[in-house]
Amino acid sequence: MNKKIIILIVFAAPLLVIFLSLFIGRYPVSIARVLQVLWSGITASTWGQPDVYNTLIWQIRMPRAILGAMVGGCLAISGAAFQGLFRNPLVSSGILGVSAGAGFGAALSILIFHSVTGATYVFAFAFGLLAVFLSYLISKIYNSSPTIMLVLGGVIVGSIFSALISFAKYAADPYEELPAIVFWLMGSLASSSYKDILVAGIPMFIGISGLVLIRWRINVLSMGDREAHALGINLVVDKGLVIVCSTLAAAGAVCVSGVIGWVGLVIPHIARMIVGNDNRVLIPASLSLGACFLVLVDDVGRIITGAEMPLGILTSLVGAPFFIWLLKKTKAGGW
Amino acid sequence: MALVEVIDGVFAYNKNRIFTNINLSVEKGEILCLLGPNGCGKTTLIDCILGMHMLNDGKILINGLDAKKFHPGELAKYVAYVPQNHERTFPYKVLDIVQMGRAAYTGRFSSPSQQDQDIAAEALAMVGLIKLKDRPYTQLSGGEGQLVMLARALAQQTPVIIMDEPTAHLDFKHEMLVLEMILDLVRNRELTVIMATHFPNHAFWFENNALKTRVALMHEEHFVEVGPPMDVICEKNMRLLYNIDTRLLSFRVNELGEMHQIVPVKTL
Repeated sequence: MNKKIIILIVFAAPLLVIFLSLFIGRYPVSIARVLQVLWSGITASTWGQPDVYNTLIWQIRMPRAILGAMVGGCLAISGAAFQGLFRNPLVSSGILGVSAGAGFGAALSILIFHSVTGATYVFAFAFGLLAVFLSYLISKIYNSSPTIMLVLGGVIVGSIFSALISFAKYAADPYEELPAIVFWLMGSLASSSYKDILVAGIPMFIGISGLVLIRWRINVLSMGDREAHALGINLVVDKGLVIVCSTLAAAGAVCVSGVIGWVGLVIPHIARMIVGNDNRVLIPASLSLGACFLVLVDDVGRIITGAEMPLGILTSLVGAPFFIWLLKKTKAGGW
Repeated sequence: MALVEVIDGVFAYNKNRIFTNINLSVEKGEILCLLGPNGCGKTTLIDCILGMHMLNDGKILINGLDAKKFHPGELAKYVAYVPQNHERTFPYKVLDIVQMGRAAYTGRFSSPSQQDQDIAAEALAMVGLIKLKDRPYTQLSGGEGQLVMLARALAQQTPVIIMDEPTAHLDFKHEMLVLEMILDLVRNRELTVIMATHFPNHAFWFENNALKTRVALMHEEHFVEVGPPMDVICEKNMRLLYNIDTRLLSFRVNELGEMHQIVPVKTL
């Protein structure tokens, strides 16, 4: 396929999906009405649209779709980067403990402030980073095979924070705090606002940009330490950059959306089946595909039940059959 | 001037000494075979020359300059590496693999330029596999895979290539194919090769083909002897290194003249 067409698809697809999702939701709004509201918003005219529609489209559906795209893209791109870096197709964005750490951070803040507040984001983000940093410290204890030690460190830290999450649930007030913790952990985009986009967008943007820029080096790093070194790569700097960028992207995503599984593990594989393994293409493709996937899944979640269906449940329920279908269709082409 | 020089090299993992008093000097256009039993430290010595490990004592000179002063990116323009056991994880296309040989010439935040891609394609053509360029390299046979690794090293355009048992796991034909490729590179492209091997006859084969060949026999932490195959690969040294009884055979091949091989008889 023509290179330019691919680039166009990568950029255009998430925008298209975001646009389409403005038409979808429980509250019935006609297509014409959505277009009118969008137009009056863009032209900043006061051309009499009822406030309820303005709020619905511009303050609820729009930020939710944008944030969903950012979160999905971040989880997928950091998963793809980690899979390449650790030469292991089974790792995901949570491999170094960022999800478990963020989950505990959120639970802790809910225990302290009794509900989900602005501090929840801050705690989730900080503990997500802390978890990865601890994994890194553990990997330094024994120097001989740093990559494996780092993954092992991630497993250890992840299990510690999972235990702490359970402890937080155990200690929580079962009527207010416990449900808040449980729902946060299942992941949701329901309360998205532009403020979330701006605040969490900073680490996500830094992470994504870094990974997109360094993407070819991930190919070389996936040759293993000795070969990458012999090919002229500064392992400390380049691996460090990939880890920091992936962590920023994943932590930025998790702190606003809660723990959303599946995306960081499987979207990179789906992208592989479509565009191949070269990270020059795979990294942007994962970003785009992750963004589209999460927005679409969130749309499904809004339609099928009256209440908000937590995203973490749906990503697997929707994603797994899709993955199987794709496996059948491509005959596992990327592999 | 020697391209690669090791002076009084000492290396230990923590307190576990691997080698000591290693002296080595490799000239342009020659092939040096590192020969020694399993676990004698050949791979560790290679890692030190590649800058993966630092010597505990002594020094390594690359092109006359202290190797410690080289960044990985600079070193990769002097010395390329063909691994012993390349673990294939993701099914990259063959040409993508060879392009990685251009990493030292490509900025951290960029991809290989058109020129780099051309050099990679040329390197792949040199090993005769250009027709496989779009194949997933996980589907290649062991021999083809090793040639791709060689092509990647060639794409680095270095004066020196270090190979760690390049013919391990290859069948009879592909072993010969790789040896012939090395012969061609050293003879016609003036490359210099340092090669760890388990087969003394590889060294003889290069010597038989009139290549400037030297062998370093590594045993119990140091070099027992360094010199041309005919001088150092003898029944006495094979007994010392491997504790086996061997015979040195000579025979004539019309176009090549006098040839030598050493054959094992039994363990002692």
